[in-house]
Amino acid sequence: MDTGKNVQKFILPMGPQHPALKEPGHFEFTLEGETVTAASVRLGYVHRGIEKATESRNWTQNLYLLERICGICSHIHATAFALGVERLAGVEAPPRAQAIRSLLAELERIHSHLLWLGVTAHEAGFDALFMYAWRDRETVMDLLEQLSGNRVHYSANVLGGVKFDINAEQATAIRIGLDFLEARTRHYLDVVATDATFLQRTRGIGIMDHELAKNLGVIGPTARASGVLRDVRVEAPYAGYRDFPVEPVLSQGGDLEARCTVRLAELLKTYATIRLILDQLPAGDLVARMPRKIRAGETISRVEAPRGELFYFIKSNGSEFPERVRVATPTIRNLASAMALVVGRHLADVPMILAGVDPCFSCNDRAVMLSRVDAEPEHWTWERLRRAGIAHYGGRMVDAGEVAP
Amino acid sequence: MTILSDLAGLLLFPGGAFVIALALAYQWLHRKLLARMQNRLGPRWWQPLADLTKLLTKQFIVPHGSDRRLFTFLPVVALAGGLTAALYVPLAGLAPAYSFPGDLVVTLYLLSTLSLCLALAGANTHSRFGQIGATRTLTQLFAYEAPFLLALLGPAVAAGSWQIGVVAQTGQQTWALLTQPIGFAVALIGLMGKLEIPPFDAPEAETEIVAGSLTEYSGRGLALFQLARQVAFVVGLALIAALYLGGTVGTLAFVGKTVALLVVITGLRALLSRLRIDQTVNYWWRGGALLALGQLMFSLLLKGAAA
Repeated sequence: MDTGKNVQKFILPMGPQHPALKEPGHFEFTLEGETVTAASVRLGYVHRGIEKATESRNWTQNLYLLERICGICSHIHATAFALGVERLAGVEAPPRAQAIRSLLAELERIHSHLLWLGVTAHEAGFDALFMYAWRDRETVMDLLEQLSGNRVHYSANVLGGVKFDINAEQATAIRIGLDFLEARTRHYLDVVATDATFLQRTRGIGIMDHELAKNLGVIGPTARASGVLRDVRVEAPYAGYRDFPVEPVLSQGGDLEARCTVRLAELLKTYATIRLILDQLPAGDLVARMPRKIRAGETISRVEAPRGELFYFIKSNGSEFPERVRVATPTIRNLASAMALVVGRHLADVPMILAGVDPCFSCNDRAVMLSRVDAEPEHWTWERLRRAGIAHYGGRMVDAGEVAP
Repeated sequence: MTILSDLAGLLLFPGGAFVIALALAYQWLHRKLLARMQNRLGPRWWQPLADLTKLLTKQFIVPHGSDRRLFTFLPVVALAGGLTAALYVPLAGLAPAYSFPGDLVVTLYLLSTLSLCLALAGANTHSRFGQIGATRTLTQLFAYEAPFLLALLGPAVAAGSWQIGVVAQTGQQTWALLTQPIGFAVALIGLMGKLEIPPFDAPEAETEIVAGSLTEYSGRGLALFQLARQVAFVVGLALIAALYLGGTVGTLAFVGKTVALLVVITGLRALLSRLRIDQTVNYWWRGGALLALGQLMFSLLLKGAAA
């Protein structure tokens, strides 16, 4: 063992398979005792080539493909795409359809935030809260299933409107479910603000003040917990939010506790919005007629996903197929902040800080082409990629160890 | 004949097979109670036995870079420590299988073999999760061990004997729980620290270091380590019941008192979030150790005043 100058670093790898990560991502934390001194992230394990795949599917097919980018915020992806395509085509979906879009988006936000609460509690080793939060989440999952027939991919959107209506019976079921969830959310809000052992893991940890949050460019609830107003529903209302405005929730805390309370307090506003939409659901058609070919042009579409701003760039060349669809999900903009915040913290705080930004890895994996200054950009064929892979992994087979008889 | 009955005592009853069966039963109760507290269904009664059997039949992999003999024997030593400790503790309402003046100290040290074996197991692998787990296990050992010892010595000091049976008998009229409540609390929470039960599970916090020291263990090695911990759990419960809850004469008293302790431990587990290792050490030395010391001094003074 070397001492003195040549001190070896102790690097703790986390992922791509690790109990703290529900999706694959790779993190390396340099440790000094229990303290993190450096952190790095590597993504790309679940790149699925969806952006490229959109180019060989027509506009309607893409709606269903893009909904599958995320398994949690599926509806919001389809909404962002549908809104963009409608703008390109110069078609406006009827008000009732817009209201139902927002209604479903808010229901989706409930299930996403409750899921997040459970995950965060589990990272803190508070499994009772985890189990209860996920039990209550079933209420909203059942409601979504009742509305759409599906628990995850609701397929509510069609280009120019929505697929299904909400009848009086369903509205009543939603109201009953919301009453239960509201009572539970108030209880959880009390738990995360008063439970002494949970507070030890959240209060004053991962502090991101107003300035830092702005500099790191975080969005969504992560930004709102640092007092930075980043909410597309408020800043640039879309779909039903023009008729049913949302009140943003801000906190100045900037620590993990604030990220907990902001998300839960946001749920209370969400319940109010849903009730308002149900009370004043505009009458009228569900679908506006859409052309099969979308006229040439390009547009951007921004919506507020549960994790923050979801950005779509859509370019049409006037055919049945899009020329280019570019998706920027919230996680890619929030994840860097977690890497900055863990430095100097305990190893035990790392999963909490990571969970604090509510990461969603599969959504944000993109292929990147590097343009080198000194050389022409390289294009790799499938065959060359395959050979490189064999050469790379062939040299370092997985160490299965010595197998005892 | 004495050899035969001695062997039966060691391997079947009250040691060996009986202790293992008891450990599995309490493990089931622990898991079931926790599940009900967390709004889950929980396992069926044979699940701990099924888990054990399954693990025993699975492949045992020794990773490269670790000492093969040490890797293989550590789980055995850990289990042996727990099973030996069980011989000196009154189980199921019966008198301990073996008893001599000073068996309390021996039992406490035998119970500590589990933590030491875990730490060695983690340090013996090249896995970085294992190494951090080993460090944390030892850190935690230094945190809870002294207060835990002091807390369990409290009733012994009051009784004036280092023999578990004598202490239990002395405490039958007035439970030590009533005379030394702080010591009781420290002992119970110390047992949770020893067994790495949440909130003291930083040494094996799965969301940080996967399984800590046991990350590289599989098959029968893992099975034996888990069994060792389950045995230590029962022994610890029986020990606290004997010392603090007025002894365990009669099967019903034993089951009642140990299950009551189990319910308290499970409730704490369900209620609390995991403590960071620095928080654990902080609490034990600023709180636990001082409280246990204060309790012990109080007992000594009381004893001096009475004498």
